[in-house]
Amino acid sequence: MRSFLALVRRELGTYFVSPVAYVILTVVLLISGLVFSHLVARMVEAAVPFDYSGILAVILWLFVITSPLVTMRTVAEEKSKGTIEIALTAPVPEAQWILAKYAAAMVLLLFLALPTVGFALLISRYGQVDAGAVACGYLGVVLSCSLAYAVGLFISALCSNQITAGILTFTVAFLLLVTSILAGQVSSSSAWSRFIEYVDLSACYGDFVRGLLDVRRLVYLLSGTVFFLFLSVRVVESRRWR
Amino acid sequence: MIEVSDLTKVYPGAVAVDGVSFRVERGQVAGFVGPNGAGKTTTMRILAGFLAPTRGSAVVAGFDVVRDSLEVRRRVGYLPETNPLYGEMRVEDYLEFRATVKKVPPARRRRRVEEVIDRCGLRERRRSIIQHLSKGLRQRVGMADALVHEPEVVILDEPTLGLDPNQVRDVRELILGLGRDRTVLLSSHILSEVERLCGRLLIMHRGKLVASGTPEEISNRLMRTGRVRLEIRGDGRAIKAGLEAVPRVARVLWSARGDLNTYLVESSDGSDLRPELFRVCAGRSWEVLELASERLSLEEVFSIVTAESPGGRAAASGGGA
Repeated sequence: MRSFLALVRRELGTYFVSPVAYVILTVVLLISGLVFSHLVARMVEAAVPFDYSGILAVILWLFVITSPLVTMRTVAEEKSKGTIEIALTAPVPEAQWILAKYAAAMVLLLFLALPTVGFALLISRYGQVDAGAVACGYLGVVLSCSLAYAVGLFISALCSNQITAGILTFTVAFLLLVTSILAGQVSSSSAWSRFIEYVDLSACYGDFVRGLLDVRRLVYLLSGTVFFLFLSVRVVESRRWR
Repeated sequence: MIEVSDLTKVYPGAVAVDGVSFRVERGQVAGFVGPNGAGKTTTMRILAGFLAPTRGSAVVAGFDVVRDSLEVRRRVGYLPETNPLYGEMRVEDYLEFRATVKKVPPARRRRRVEEVIDRCGLRERRRSIIQHLSKGLRQRVGMADALVHEPEVVILDEPTLGLDPNQVRDVRELILGLGRDRTVLLSSHILSEVERLCGRLLIMHRGKLVASGTPEEISNRLMRTGRVRLEIRGDGRAIKAGLEAVPRVARVLWSARGDLNTYLVESSDGSDLRPELFRVCAGRSWEVLELASERLSLEEVFSIVTAESPGGRAAASGGGA
């Protein structure tokens, strides 16, 4: 456990030594801040209740789209710099090593998402906020990112160049966000359309922000995370035999 | 203790290590030598638990490298050839991190870090960021990392690569100190270094172990032609003819400075020529200043055992620095 925490701390350190954490923080706060001020202006003009789901949707998109920045270097960089050789000749099981990287990414997410809670606090001073729906929406953000990070970690474990890993992860993350648009292209009753609807992160998020905790969504996001973490561990373990 | 038997590692399209077997006892410093691509690094990576062998087995500090990989890694201090380090960290923080990951108990951790900082001469640079350090200093950080958990077995891949002469001397002293109570396996391109440091030599070539033993054993075994060095004053040409007439003499090399002649006499069947040569010299009353059997230098041994199948690789030996 002690060595696991040491690994998580080191991983977290790299986010803050490099510009990654600050870049993501800037992008998220800048864009979600713009959207927020726009939504506030509309609320005042049209005298409608504040639509918090709009701002949460933006936050989810931003975090999922920036997930390649978080995960692309995790394993790929250790491979290209050779530090994997010292990392895996220390008495650390491969699974622990991967989990530490995943845990560090999730801690970073929580840290970066924290300032956006300020929007909810600000609104709650002047109007009504459905705290339950907001909390549920944030759960959706965290679980969606959890899946995106696990996929990114897996891709990074496959690549030895972090740019390749980043581009591939970006493609997958983007597809996960827009599959519902593709769903319109296939007939609505087919197995394909059901599959697309099932894996679509935007659809998942829609449920969450309405305060709907659908078991199907939870199972998808959590099992997906576990599945890709498992694959990442396998990829790293297989390196010894190649 | 390191025990390797029939170790083989096959990469797609290439056999890196081919049926290597050897043993290194506790308190012994063993040196791996061989041209680039001979399989030294792959063997060391297997022993450190980084790669799994395709065939054969290796037992390090009493544990099998495949079945008990974690136990092996706990007991091995490994310095890879490229000495990869987390460059963004400070020396002290890095060593503290590595000590934690290598399961040094918290009560001893601080003290161990201080010890290796002292032992590797990093006291003044403990707060430096690793990537700002010179190559020599980074090499010392790598050494400190390899030793921080008091490993029973120390595996050092090219520990003196890229160091200046003073640093090389420091590292040598460090290794000799380690060899007193630990098992040390190191690889090097610098033959004189290996000869000075290692009680045991392992010469690899094209994935195979071509010679092993003490430097003396190896050079004696390889001395197919017993060679004797003679210094005699007098008429060089006549003496050369006289020496060539001695039975079992295959070849006489002669060089002269004034009336001082130096001869290298090689026997045809590898036998010791010294008694016969002495009798001849005494019988003719030659003024013999020196008569000694010539031992092969490590460089000569190396070029003999690695030259059998010239395929370009052997020619690249020694050029790795």
